[in-house]
Amino acid sequence: MTITRRNVLLGATATAALLPIAARAQTSEVVIGVIYPLSGASAQIGVDAQKAFETAADLINKNYDFALPLAKGEGLSGLGGAKVRLVFADHQADPQKGRAEAERLITQEKVCAIVGTYQSAVAVTVSQICERYQIPFISADNSSPSLHRRGLKFYFRAAPHDEMFSAAMFDFFDALKKKGQKIETLSLFHEDTIFGTDSSNTQLKLAASRGYKVVADIKYRANSPSLTAEVQQLKAANADVLMPSSYTTDGILLVKTMAELGYKPKNIVAQDAGFSEKALYDAVGDKLEGVISRGSFSLDLAAKRPMVGAINEMYRTKSGKDFNDYSSRQFMGLIVMADAINRAKSTDGEKIREALIATDMPGEATIMPWKRVKFDEMGQNNDADPVLLQYTGGKFVTIFPAQAAVAEAIWPMK
Amino acid sequence: MPLTAETIIQSLASGLLMGLLYGLIAVGLALIFGLMDVVNFAHGEFLMIAMYATFFLFAFFAIDPLLSAPLVAAALFVFGAVVYLLIVRFAVRAKANAGMVQIFSTFGLAIVMRGLAQFFFTPDYRSVTHSWLGGKTVSIAGVFLPVPQLVGALVAIAAFGALYFFINRTDFGRALEATREDAGAVALVGIDKNRVFALGWGLGAALVGLSGAIMAMFFYIYPDVGASFALIAYVTVALGGFGSVFGAFAGGIIVGLVEATTALILPPSLKSVGIYAVYLLVVFVRPRGLFGSM
Repeated sequence: MTITRRNVLLGATATAALLPIAARAQTSEVVIGVIYPLSGASAQIGVDAQKAFETAADLINKNYDFALPLAKGEGLSGLGGAKVRLVFADHQADPQKGRAEAERLITQEKVCAIVGTYQSAVAVTVSQICERYQIPFISADNSSPSLHRRGLKFYFRAAPHDEMFSAAMFDFFDALKKKGQKIETLSLFHEDTIFGTDSSNTQLKLAASRGYKVVADIKYRANSPSLTAEVQQLKAANADVLMPSSYTTDGILLVKTMAELGYKPKNIVAQDAGFSEKALYDAVGDKLEGVISRGSFSLDLAAKRPMVGAINEMYRTKSGKDFNDYSSRQFMGLIVMADAINRAKSTDGEKIREALIATDMPGEATIMPWKRVKFDEMGQNNDADPVLLQYTGGKFVTIFPAQAAVAEAIWPMK
Repeated sequence: MPLTAETIIQSLASGLLMGLLYGLIAVGLALIFGLMDVVNFAHGEFLMIAMYATFFLFAFFAIDPLLSAPLVAAALFVFGAVVYLLIVRFAVRAKANAGMVQIFSTFGLAIVMRGLAQFFFTPDYRSVTHSWLGGKTVSIAGVFLPVPQLVGALVAIAAFGALYFFINRTDFGRALEATREDAGAVALVGIDKNRVFALGWGLGAALVGLSGAIMAMFFYIYPDVGASFALIAYVTVALGGFGSVFGAFAGGIIVGLVEATTALILPPSLKSVGIYAVYLLVVFVRPRGLFGSM
């Protein structure tokens, strides 16, 4: 058989016509990397996170009747119904392991996007790797304000950061002072990685500008076997408000040690982390009646938005726990990322990035009390309003800001 | 923080209580090393298992940690002996690179134990929520002494006393001493070396079991809980002198007191600096440790 010019042309046309189908067939699944501490001191967070991400993937991949992006219909419609497949990686709370795992996810597992990481210190290295490979990264639950200020093009955060959270705390103090409460002195108690350090720096700045006196600023080593010396200093300072920025382990030990040394803080307003974990309240909840923690999620919202309750049920059947501030943000992290991939109609990093920049998700389409999800030029969502929650009668109720509050704050705490 | 008499006394008292407990945690390590020159890198995981055992006895059978302490110690005795018979016995027989084989066998055991604990017990943080002593505190002239740590310190002193008596006054203790002096020679007088080693491992593990039961009264429990205490135990043993039971006792007290007083002077995040500084000093000046004999 001789190959004529016409045959070649025909063949080429046929190939060209078939190409899109072939390309579509290849993207029958979209692989997203999820990087968390699955072993080590904060393994509990990672294991719970895994369930939150699986819940989100379930919502995306199967058909549900919720007003949440991608819930209706199966898979990502923009990619011909491609299913989301999650690849979990374990960073053990170690920034260097995080860096290596992120690289492995990108080069070996061929993920098109990464969500992470709980510890802000690990988000630093993971996001650097993503930037180098031009893979979009969403900080689902990292709250260090310095993270989005590093000029990274592929970094995004839908949730609030600690400056927004801390500002809400000081707004709350100001409001209480107007009502005639005496709040003059603060004690800061924070762990020594980027989360605690950034948090306390922000709080020091806010305290100075709003006229509060910081009588103790205690930095401690995370996962300490004993916090006796630290608590002694807090006790000596005896401030009007104690403001801890601690992960779960240290949070439990802090509360136990305070009780042992006969120190009853007048008020505790916590920078989340350990203070939104069920484990902490299971262990020492009886000593924490009236403690206030910042948060970005509250189950109170289920009364106004029934889908919050329904999705929480889905999560609870998987994990045996209710959504908390972390699992809810992890859930939303994947939804926001998948929504962008869907609109990008591609798994190309640059196209997903453009879609993320174009994100404008109304608050009602999320499970959070946020106004909306829309990223600024640094990749931060400034419309994620933080709330303050108070632990009373074994559960959290929203007490601030006024428009989200369902109860008056009990002040002082007991 | 203002350096008043009260804060200084409180620091020293807290440091002493914690130090005695550090000593009790470390003594099993010292005992095993003294007996057969093997460092048990799964020491922290022994502590973790003991804490979980206490927790489960409390959660399922409502047995108070104070009552379950002897049970846990007994269980750990069996566990320690089994670990020797099934793993360490073979590791020390290695023909080539014996040192490495020993290190990796117990190090590997540590990783396996952590993994299994996370798999079966989940990584959730557990606590013994209410016990007879938990959360209770006595206050003497403004100095607060938490009852669990106080009882822990008393148990530690009693355990060291009993251990001293046991090693110096009983036949088995003498056999233990003889085996550590010369394991080959004792075989000639009819002492079964393996039996002595197995009992030594059992005893060492039982002492960790005792500390685990006490710790469970005031510390949270999770699969990695042993790590930070094991590190302190290694320093304690090296400070007191490898292999010396009394050295572990003294080393523990020193570590506890140094940690507490460092925090009075330096920022608390640097409080372990004091411990390691003292440790380095000992290593330079007296490499075998304060009470070590080599």
